[in-house]
Amino acid sequence: MPELSYREAVRDALATAMRADEDVFLMGEDIAEMGGSMGVTQGLYEEFGSERVRNTPISEMAIVGAGIGAAMQGMRPVVEIMYEDFLTLSLEQIVNQAAKHRYMSGGQIKVPLTIRTQGGAGWSPGAQHAQQLEAWLVHIPGLKVVYAASPADARGLLYSAIYDDNPVIFFEHRLLYPVKGDVPETLEPIPLGKARVVREGTDVTVIATGPLVHRALEAARVAGAEGISVEIVDPRTLQPLDTDTLVDSVKKTNRAVVAHEAVTRMGFGAEVAAVLQEKAFDWLDAPIERVGAKFAPLAFAPAMEQFVVPQPADVLAAIGKTLGRA
Amino acid sequence: MATDVKLPRLGQGMESGTIVKWLKAEGDVVEKGEPLFEVDTDKATQEVEAEASGVLLRIEIASGEVPVGQRIALIGAPGEELAISGAPEMTGETTLAPAPAARDTEFRAAINGAREENGGRVKASPLARRMARERGIELAGLTGTGPDGRIVAEDVERASASASVAPPSPIEPPPPAPTAAPPSPPAALPVDVEAIPLTNIRRTIARRLTEAWQVPAFQLTVSVDMTHANALLERSRDLNPALRITITDLLARVCGSGLQRHPEVNVQFSDESLLRFPSANVGIAVAAPQGLVVPVIRSVERLSLAEVAAQRLQLVERARTGTLQLADLEGGTFTISNLGMFGVEQFSAVLNPPQAAILAVGATTDRPVAVEHEVRVLPMMTVTLTVDHRAVDGAPAADFLRTVKTFLEDPALAL
Repeated sequence: MPELSYREAVRDALATAMRADEDVFLMGEDIAEMGGSMGVTQGLYEEFGSERVRNTPISEMAIVGAGIGAAMQGMRPVVEIMYEDFLTLSLEQIVNQAAKHRYMSGGQIKVPLTIRTQGGAGWSPGAQHAQQLEAWLVHIPGLKVVYAASPADARGLLYSAIYDDNPVIFFEHRLLYPVKGDVPETLEPIPLGKARVVREGTDVTVIATGPLVHRALEAARVAGAEGISVEIVDPRTLQPLDTDTLVDSVKKTNRAVVAHEAVTRMGFGAEVAAVLQEKAFDWLDAPIERVGAKFAPLAFAPAMEQFVVPQPADVLAAIGKTLGRA
Repeated sequence: MATDVKLPRLGQGMESGTIVKWLKAEGDVVEKGEPLFEVDTDKATQEVEAEASGVLLRIEIASGEVPVGQRIALIGAPGEELAISGAPEMTGETTLAPAPAARDTEFRAAINGAREENGGRVKASPLARRMARERGIELAGLTGTGPDGRIVAEDVERASASASVAPPSPIEPPPPAPTAAPPSPPAALPVDVEAIPLTNIRRTIARRLTEAWQVPAFQLTVSVDMTHANALLERSRDLNPALRITITDLLARVCGSGLQRHPEVNVQFSDESLLRFPSANVGIAVAAPQGLVVPVIRSVERLSLAEVAAQRLQLVERARTGTLQLADLEGGTFTISNLGMFGVEQFSAVLNPPQAAILAVGATTDRPVAVEHEVRVLPMMTVTLTVDHRAVDGAPAADFLRTVKTFLEDPALAL
């Protein structure tokens, strides 16, 4: 199996789709000659040219709006929002337009738009460049939301997102870009709405997204040394959510921890916890624990940033609490 | 630093015990080795001694069923105050706290205390509730070992395991775990019917005999001429006036020798193998005030008749006063149940699992017997051997019984 970095995996999904399909094209700030501020689109301008890899003005509303228009006309645009913090500027287009057209037109109009964006703390980007705002978008009917944690998932899911006929918000995490992992020889699309059991275990299920999948793996290793068997499930697609896989896992382990880097309060994990208690109440042997960022703006100082953002020890502590060992 | 008083394991297989009463009150000075509380296991009521000297700071469990190892009280230095601290906080490098059973925080005790003041609401996980519901176990009687004293699945598992020890009965549901509060009588009882709450001993008798009832068993009956046995007993009594040597003593001794000759009867059936025991540990069924108990005389084959009688006297005395220790009740390989003193002529006993055989002994009465074409009146005793057919076949059992009869009719042969 070849190995790709997460960054290369995203790029490969884009290039593969663009080679196969003239309708796929890219728009975003500095994505062309510069190759994107995170280097994800490097080389694509050279391969596909300025018509299909287009730099835009610094206006997130314009970027998304143009993408919606192109999608409505039958293209499959992939637009990049440099930081997910700046998704906020394009929310009118996403929430009121992209998410609504198919419904309001009675299905006559489709919006096969993919919005890639990245965020996340851990490298001191400060309070305005590191937020995790997926919860804002999973709340909107009409959108699909994907958050990939591994190179293989990033490649397979992004490809499926591009070919989905609905607007898909595709979250990437800044710290994951250099992370390497095995990927299939040729790109295999991963269907949206399917969770992945990252690690099997019997005592507690950690439902984690993005970088917390990796931090949960670290916690699981430590817990394993204490004789605790941790199962880790990554939903991968936050909307629609693969509740069956999550519920099955919790029915097996009887305990659940929900972990994401976003702020805990009102976060995606709250929804997961609610679903679990609805569908697996009689299988729960402990309250569901939540792990996420503290309810505070992200600090710039590295030590403070680390304090606010959940670490492996936080996952471990939550695992311990579900087992009465905190 | 206060010392924990934990429920000790008083015998093999003991998973829990019921605290009957405390012999010391909170604030009392306690000496190491002094009796501290009484615990009712499924076999006996026993005093437990203090393992530390000091002041009994707090009794956490005043009465009721408690799993082995659970802290039930604290002994501290005079004047020591109890510190109540929160659970240790997890930080960067922390690993996990030890498992609940081994854990030792004031926190849990404080929470447990709070539970009792919580209007009787039992704190249990949804899974524990579902399991308890499905298995017919009362949550109120369980002690939670989960976070904040919550009853978790493991606690229900433990309760249901101890409620149905060994091979769980496939027919009867396991009896409900003993509850701290006396169970309320069924709703529609007529007023003159008294509902007596089941004691641990009663539950154990019910469970074990139900178990025994499912064993394929057969009975063999013989009548024994007791002329020589009676003469021997008479002379032995003269020789040991203090001992009141009885027919049961002689039977125990004779069965011991018989089991040595027929080791294929001194066995226990288990799923994987047949366990054959090197010596005969003979249990004597005793009607104690609290119910049937079967204290065991070990290696009977090595004892003289007087020694058997001395041990039997001691055990019966302990049974009558409720002071049997678990060690007195464990390890039996054969049981004798004698109802002759009530004038019962013949009966069959229910097996005492996991033992493979039990001898039911009737009264010795003068009966007309045909001897060499003549009718003679002889002191006759009828005994019935009940045998676990899974472990022992008919012929070896009959052979053993013939040996017992021969030994009783000519006791010198048992030597």
